[in-house]
Amino acid sequence: MSAAGDFSNWVADTSFFTALRESGLPYPIVMSLHLSSIAIFGGLILMTDLRLLGVALKDMSVTDVVRQTRLWKRIGFVIMITCGVLLGGAKLNTYYDNPYFQIKLSLLVLVGVHAIIFRRSVYANTEAIDRAPAIPGVAKTAAVLSLILWVGILSMGRWIAYFERPGQFGRPHAVSQAAPELPQK
Amino acid sequence: MFIPYDIANYPLNSNEWSFPFTECIHISMFAMSIGTIALVDLRMLGVGLRHQTPAQILKDTGIWTLVGLIIVVTSGFVIWASDPLRYYYNWSFRYKIIALALAILYNYTIHRKVALSASSQSIGGKLVATLSLLLWISIVFAGLFYAFT
Repeated sequence: MSAAGDFSNWVADTSFFTALRESGLPYPIVMSLHLSSIAIFGGLILMTDLRLLGVALKDMSVTDVVRQTRLWKRIGFVIMITCGVLLGGAKLNTYYDNPYFQIKLSLLVLVGVHAIIFRRSVYANTEAIDRAPAIPGVAKTAAVLSLILWVGILSMGRWIAYFERPGQFGRPHAVSQAAPELPQK
Repeated sequence: MFIPYDIANYPLNSNEWSFPFTECIHISMFAMSIGTIALVDLRMLGVGLRHQTPAQILKDTGIWTLVGLIIVVTSGFVIWASDPLRYYYNWSFRYKIIALALAILYNYTIHRKVALSASSQSIGGKLVATLSLLLWISIVFAGLFYAFT
């Protein structure tokens, strides 16, 4: 087995992640928190991007939207990443060679690159953007790339559950537990 | 119970990509609707977007909340139809549907009225905003718990 495989097995096999994976309630609660922070934090990113594109929240300045949502995006981001690490760690032995998981992590790295590239010209430069007669192309580019990255991360996150290894069939979202007996039609 | 179509040939069940694809639309659109509602709620709680009043934020975000809700309900309906009985007999799903109906009703009556009023940041306004956040988050939880119950 590869070093990545050894490491992933070791992580998932630690008593902490084993307990989380095999727990009844904590695992779905962590997953729900992950999804709830997407609802709020993801929603704020979406609205910020739409503001930078000039399609939403036009009564507010870009400065207001970017600055006043920053704290909440950070809080949401921390909760989301924490829950994501817990979820990923608990199943790292099956995730590490899942192509959708690998793409998701790569896109998350690109989010960091995006932040570094556009920080000075867009996110720390909102007053100039508000003074400009039209929203500069660089701000729109940042918004479009942000949308693509986050929608990609969300989609790949969902697709992780649908990866079928050779010889493994079925609808993964339905096989995590036995289907309940339905009353006779 | 009679289902007027062939579930096995329903698109979400007969190919590999349309179920997760619809889920992604569902998730991004609840992010948009709940995210915009949360902007109003956080403002009513006095912890975000303080340069605007709750009423201004509601007017600016209202259309996006509505568009998000329409798409989230439509995509949810499409997902439900992939296995209607299984959803119907699931308590988490039943809670979700009832809470969703209440949340939408609440959002366009009490919540809207208070957010647009001068007392949107009073203690009462904060309670209205807290209830709104809790209600919407509980719907997200119920949607996920469906898969675990």
